[in-house]
Amino acid sequence: MATASISLRDVGRTFGATRALAGVDLDLKPGVTGLLGPNGAGKTTLLRLLATALPPTQGQVRVLGRDPQVSAQRTDIRRQLGYQPQEIGFPRGFTAFAFVDYIALLKEWTEPAARHAEVRRVLDLVGLSDLSSKRIRAMSGGQRRRVALAQALLGSPAVLILDEPTTGVDPEQRVVLRTVLAEIARMSVVVLSTHQTEDVAALCERVIVLDRGRVRYDGPVTELTGQAAGRVWLADEPDPAASVSWRTGTGRYRNVGGRVRDGAEHVEPSLEDAYLLLRGGSPEPETAGEVAS
Amino acid sequence: MTGWHLDDDALRRYVERTDSLAEGTSAEQHLLSCEPCRARVNTAASVIELSVIDIATVWDRTRDAIEVPRPSVFERLLRGAGLPAQEARLVAVASAFRGVWLTGVAAVLAFAALAAAVGHARGMWLFLAVAPVVPCLVVASSYDPWMDPALEPELVTPYPMLRLVLLRTVAVLALALPAVLLSGLLIPTEVPFAWLLPAVGFVAVVLAASTWFSPLRSAIAVSSVWLGVIWLLALRSGAPEAVLQARAQAAFLALAAASFSIFLVRRRRLHQLRPWR
Repeated sequence: MATASISLRDVGRTFGATRALAGVDLDLKPGVTGLLGPNGAGKTTLLRLLATALPPTQGQVRVLGRDPQVSAQRTDIRRQLGYQPQEIGFPRGFTAFAFVDYIALLKEWTEPAARHAEVRRVLDLVGLSDLSSKRIRAMSGGQRRRVALAQALLGSPAVLILDEPTTGVDPEQRVVLRTVLAEIARMSVVVLSTHQTEDVAALCERVIVLDRGRVRYDGPVTELTGQAAGRVWLADEPDPAASVSWRTGTGRYRNVGGRVRDGAEHVEPSLEDAYLLLRGGSPEPETAGEVAS
Repeated sequence: MTGWHLDDDALRRYVERTDSLAEGTSAEQHLLSCEPCRARVNTAASVIELSVIDIATVWDRTRDAIEVPRPSVFERLLRGAGLPAQEARLVAVASAFRGVWLTGVAAVLAFAALAAAVGHARGMWLFLAVAPVVPCLVVASSYDPWMDPALEPELVTPYPMLRLVLLRTVAVLALALPAVLLSGLLIPTEVPFAWLLPAVGFVAVVLAASTWFSPLRSAIAVSSVWLGVIWLLALRSGAPEAVLQARAQAAFLALAAASFSIFLVRRRRLHQLRPWR
């Protein structure tokens, strides 16, 4: 079996006068890659490009060695692709089983017995087998996210694109989903965007930080975290020179960046610390006028 | 004790679980009250290899009975009409947007009643303004990302978007047109179905425009232009039949043919359908 891969060369995407992505070069292999960035950094646009839902306005995209701009090749890609969009709606009155079954039908699972077995398998993977007959409208937000994830897992795709898969999902289920995704990533390219740095730290070997449509960091999670070594400490007072500083539950202040003062206690940096340092301390600035999606 | 017993074949199918759900239920009911047949089941089960009794299959069938949604009346009708089960299912999903076309059909019926009440000329203008635009609005609603919130995962499946759009178009037209046709009979005119060709033309224009813009935006634009044209014509001449002359009808037919050709040529652009936001 050939190794799954994705490559992007100088890829850009604009929406009218708004630039959402610019000059993106990436090579993705099997494994889980996390996509971090503030709102409007271009994460969703990048994922939609990888999922063949959106063509680039510049550059070259290759998914599994195929060109998504060519109709027949795009269809080939889609046969091996799972995609969970950021926002997903469900037809009125559908149960979890009915919706996933409907998407399975569109994914060419025409034989009913095999299709139903596959629908059950993916609903079981996301922990929804007991709720398969429940109407989606009556489900919680987290359960709906899991229905959306289940349809993406149909057929164990070689490429799995997930836009904020863990939003609204409870901690126990997030652990279950991490296990499922780690197993799939042994053979498949899994790219997920999230605002949960702990998900990236727990699951991803590689992290890409996007900012204003450009790749700001691309490398191992441990390397990014390592960049913050020695720059995170606890003190009794907030440091005005720190990139960010906040009061922790113990009453002491966690300072990220800035100058280490006397009496400060160095602590192990987290991925979130490293991300905030990379971003220059601004937690989630909006980038109006530059990036749309 | 009952007056009959399971025959050997039925008993074997029951033990091997190769019977249908209905047959199995019937056998089970019988076994509850028939001691001799229960004894035969025990004997038969003891000589059958365990591997023959596929527990997983039995379990799957049981779950199917609970989980697989029963086809809607509409879906069963489509299957009865000869449409393959898979296509019938995909078309039936479009009927989930029945709220949209019901609104459209209700609008036409209301306008038809109003048109019948206000008399021949003015009534005909009213009906002519509304009837042709309803089909294109309901068709656009059936595959517009704004109306179909599941469109994004649908778009990235290998199923051809062109086929899905056309299936839905045919489905909603099949649902909406009979009601609009009937309402045409309420209008005091000699040509109650003359709005059909404009409607076909507008549906084709919306399909073609959907390769550039969002379907709903296209349908609203087409409807607005049509209402403007009708308003201007009504101001200039009092006779609505002018719109329905052979030349005008031929123009609508040409519009439909040209638009549908553009749609087919640009069909690959459908994958870029964007929501209206």
